[in-house]
Amino acid sequence: MIDFSSEWTAILIVILVGFLPSEIWRMLAVIAGRRMDEGSEAFLWVKAVATALLAAVVARLIFVPTGALVEVPLWLRLLCIVGGIAAFTAIRRSVLAGVVVGEAILVLGAWWLG
Amino acid sequence: MAGAAALRLRQVRGRRSVLGCPGSGAPAPPRNWFVPPPASSPAPSSSSRWFLTGARAALSVPGLVLFAGYIGFGGLLTGIDFPFVAGLLSTLLIWALPAQIILIGGLATGTGLVPIALAVTLSSLRLMPMVLSLAPYLRGTRRSLARELLCAHFVAMTVWAEGHRLLPRMPLEGRIPFQLGLGCGLTTISLSGTAAGFFMAAELPVWLAVGLLFLTPISFSLLMIRGAREATDWIALALGFLTAPLVAGLSGGMDLMLCGIGGGTVAYLVGRRLRRRP
Repeated sequence: MIDFSSEWTAILIVILVGFLPSEIWRMLAVIAGRRMDEGSEAFLWVKAVATALLAAVVARLIFVPTGALVEVPLWLRLLCIVGGIAAFTAIRRSVLAGVVVGEAILVLGAWWLG
Repeated sequence: MAGAAALRLRQVRGRRSVLGCPGSGAPAPPRNWFVPPPASSPAPSSSSRWFLTGARAALSVPGLVLFAGYIGFGGLLTGIDFPFVAGLLSTLLIWALPAQIILIGGLATGTGLVPIALAVTLSSLRLMPMVLSLAPYLRGTRRSLARELLCAHFVAMTVWAEGHRLLPRMPLEGRIPFQLGLGCGLTTISLSGTAAGFFMAAELPVWLAVGLLFLTPISFSLLMIRGAREATDWIALALGFLTAPLVAGLSGGMDLMLCGIGGGTVAYLVGRRLRRRP
């Protein structure tokens, strides 16, 4: 077990184990992307990959949740998303409306299920 | 090559006009003007005005969602007695909630530093295509590696989604200050969330904890739907979403890359076919 209770050890861990392993990808992307132009075929492909990747990350959060969300059944989680999208579409494509309706379904559903 | 040179020339001219020397060759404002700076005021402050426009754009539903998400993260820090300043630094420096949760969660379960670093590396791999696809908007009129790296640092889910929605409509000279303003604004909001979570974590009622956790998936689903325009976007969204549960059993990081590269490539190919059809 690593002792991270001292502030300086913890800061060092954050930098070496958290910051560098994530920032390296951003740096590589900047260097690799310096020659890529908006609208080029390579750009369109990378954008499609990033879109699919983000959708997969979100799907992971819904299908394989963590923490307190585990207690909420899958059908209710999916119902919240569907309800949120329906509200978003119906109410002037408002993200706020979609979030509020989706959250309301979730909280009411969780309360009703006990 | 000639086209690139012409483009560069146009960019330089555009820049000069912003600095307030409308020469004979000063072009009309770029198409799709986003929020035109008031014409009456002197131009030199336009960079800071774009920065403020970006910071203001951070005060939005996605900003609120980040705030709530980082309240949860702050609670996680308290839970394992992680020091406060280091916790704040993780938000500022790592700036990707999943990687931060892997780091703190790993420390909490006594995982070694090397396996944690590997897991963080894999989970942050997704940042690379995200930065790559925003990079063309963040070059400005004069290239500067340091500035491009700073702009890239702010790229994570929220800035990527908002960036793709807002940056293309913006004039060239406004994009970088806008991105920096948006990034700084969202980072400030997230740091406040981390601190708030750290100090008030104690006991959240279950319904509130569930609600906070669900904010990220619901808001991102909607942000991505709002951002989708062409067939490629929709196919990439659908494939990424639907294939994710299939690979959930595979070990962390690479499984999602599989969905991204596979789904994204199929979406790109279908989109190209549709575009080329007469």
